[in-house]
Amino acid sequence: MELIGVLSPMSILLCFLGVLIGIIFGSIPGMTATMAIAIFLPITYALDMIDSIGLLIGLYVGGISGGLVPAILLNIPGTPSSLCTTFDGYPMTQNGQGEKALKVGITASLIGGLLSLTILYFFAPLLASVAIDFSSVEKFLIIIFALTIIASISKGSLLVGIFSGILGVFVSLIGTFADNNEMRLIPPGLEEQLVYGFSLLPVLIGLFAIGQMLIEAEEGMKPATHQNIDLNKGEKSRFKFRVFKNQMVNLFRSSVLGTFIGILPGVGGSAASITAYSQAKSFSKKPSNFGKGEPEGLIASESANNGLTGGALIPLLSLGIPGDSTTAILIGAFLLQGIEVGPLFIPTNPDLWSGIVYALIIANIVMFAMMFFSIRYFAKIVYIPKYIIFPIIIVMCTVGSYAINNGVMFDVWTLLLFGLAGYIFMKIGIQIPPFLIGFILGAQCEKYFIDSLKGNGGDLTVFFTNGPVALVLWILIIGAFVYAILDNRSAKRNDARDAS
Amino acid sequence: MEDLLTVELSFSEYHLIFPRIVITILLILGAIIVFRYFYKRMKLGSSKKRDFSFFIATYDKTKLFGSAILLFLYPFMMERLGFLISTIGLMFFMTLLFIGKIKKTALFTSLTNALATTFVIWYVFGQLFDITLP
Repeated sequence: MELIGVLSPMSILLCFLGVLIGIIFGSIPGMTATMAIAIFLPITYALDMIDSIGLLIGLYVGGISGGLVPAILLNIPGTPSSLCTTFDGYPMTQNGQGEKALKVGITASLIGGLLSLTILYFFAPLLASVAIDFSSVEKFLIIIFALTIIASISKGSLLVGIFSGILGVFVSLIGTFADNNEMRLIPPGLEEQLVYGFSLLPVLIGLFAIGQMLIEAEEGMKPATHQNIDLNKGEKSRFKFRVFKNQMVNLFRSSVLGTFIGILPGVGGSAASITAYSQAKSFSKKPSNFGKGEPEGLIASESANNGLTGGALIPLLSLGIPGDSTTAILIGAFLLQGIEVGPLFIPTNPDLWSGIVYALIIANIVMFAMMFFSIRYFAKIVYIPKYIIFPIIIVMCTVGSYAINNGVMFDVWTLLLFGLAGYIFMKIGIQIPPFLIGFILGAQCEKYFIDSLKGNGGDLTVFFTNGPVALVLWILIIGAFVYAILDNRSAKRNDARDAS
Repeated sequence: MEDLLTVELSFSEYHLIFPRIVITILLILGAIIVFRYFYKRMKLGSSKKRDFSFFIATYDKTKLFGSAILLFLYPFMMERLGFLISTIGLMFFMTLLFIGKIKKTALFTSLTNALATTFVIWYVFGQLFDITLP
C-alpha cells in the first residue's frame, strides 16, 4: 500500500500525537495552533522530514479544530478563525446543547478539511508548474506579494503593521551576506555568535511563547471563567447526523470559500469564517435564527475554517509563500530540515508531497475520531490551569532553542531576548505576526533582489519590464495592498462604532 | 532619471545595498508614525491626558518580575548545576509563583509539576530522541 510506503508507522503515530496535542492547544484559550507548532519545532530537528511532517500537520489540523471547544463552551474563540463559531455555538451551549454543537462543529470541520485537501491536491502542482520557470525578478515580486500579507494581518494601524514587518526584514539581515561573504549590522563583540544571524527557532518561539507568558504573568495568570456547563440537556439536545440533511450545499460552499480565502496571503481564517457565515445566512430559509443557536451557522463557520488548512498550504507548497502566520512557521520547519519550499518543491520531493497529502487525510480523520468520541473529555481541557501549562512551555522552549544548533547557549539567550522583545512589542503596538513574516522572508527577498539587479546591470526598471508575469504580480501586489487598506478602514470604522 | 533608476553595483558592497534600502524605509515609516502620533495629540489638545501606560492598571508585579527574574536566572543555573537540577528548580518556583499562594497543596502541585515535567522532557528529548540537553 502506497500510504505505508510514504508514511512510516512512526510518522502516523506522530500525526496522532500531533492531533492530540494540537486539540489541547487549540482548546486552551490564549494558546493557538501557531504556538503549538512553534513549541514542537525543536522535536522535529531530531526526526526525519516525513516524521516531522506527520507531527506538524497533526498539530496544525488539531490546533485549528480545537479552537471550536472554547468558542462553543466559553464564547472565547480558541483561534481567530473560530470567531463565527461563537455566534451560534455558544447560544446552543446556553440552551443545553453543548455536546450537539461540538459534534456538529467537529463533523463540519472534517468535511471542510477533506474538501480543501482535494483542492490542494489538484491545485498546488498546477500552480507550481507555472511558477517553475520564474526568474529571480518574478521570485522577488512573489516575495513582495507574500509580504503584502503583513498589510492584511495588521491589526489597528496599518502603518505600524508595515513598520513591524520591515523591522522583521531588518533583523533577518543581521549576519553574513552569502554573495560576498561580508558581515553587516552585527553589534560589536557578537561577531562570532551572529556570523550567521539569529537562528529562526529561538526568535520564533521567543516572540510567540515567552512574550505571551510574560503578558499572562502581568495579568496574574487568571484562570478561564468557570461555568457549570450542562453539555446535554434532554433528548432533543442529542446529536444526530440528520442535522446535516439539507446542509450539503452549505457545507460545500463554505468549505470551498474557506479554501480559496486560505489561498490569498494574509486574508486569514477569521475572514474565511465570516464570509462563509454571511453567505450561509443570506441563502438560509431561516436567517433570523442565526446568532440564536442555529446549527447552519455553526456548520458554515467550522467547515470554512478547516477548509482554510488546505487552502493556506497551496501558496506555501507551490510558491513558497505563507497563507497565514501558522503556515509561516511551517516554512521554518522546512528550512530546519534543509528544504526550501517553492515551485520546485513538489517535482523534486514527490514522496514528501504525497506524505503531506496523506498526513492531512490522516490528521483530519484522527481529529474527527478523537474529538467526536471523546468530546466530553476534551471539553474539560478548557479548564487546565495556566500555572501548570506555562512553566512546561518555558522548559520546552529552552531545551528546543539550546538543541537546535546542537548545544549553543547563545540560542537560549536569543530566546529570552526575543521573548522580552515580544512582550515589549505587544505593549508598544509593534505587531508580532508581521515582524515574524518579515524575518522569515527577509533574507530571500534580499537574495532575489540582488540577483535581479546583478543580471540586469543594476537597472531597477527590470521589476516592471520583465514580462507579463511581472505585470500580473504587480497587479496582485497592488490589489492585496488596496484590499488591506480598505479592510483596515472598515475595521477602524467598526471599532469606532462599537466604542460609541 | 536613468541614474535614479539604476543602482551602482560593486562586489565589495553587495551586502550593504539591501540593508540601506530597508533602513531608509524604516526611518521614513518611523518618522511618519511619530509625526502622526504627535499630530493627533496636538489636535486633541493639552486637556487630553496621555492614554498610554506600559503596564495594565491591575498588573501583578510579583508574577511579572518574578517570572522575568527566574527566566534570566535559568540559563546561568543550567551552566552551573546542569539541566535536571536547574529545571526542577525553575519549574517548582515558577509554578508556585503562578499559583500565588504558599500552601501545602500549592507546594505539592508545584513539586509534582516540576518533577514530572523535568523527567518526561529529559527522557523524551535526551534519551528517546537523542537531542542535546544543556
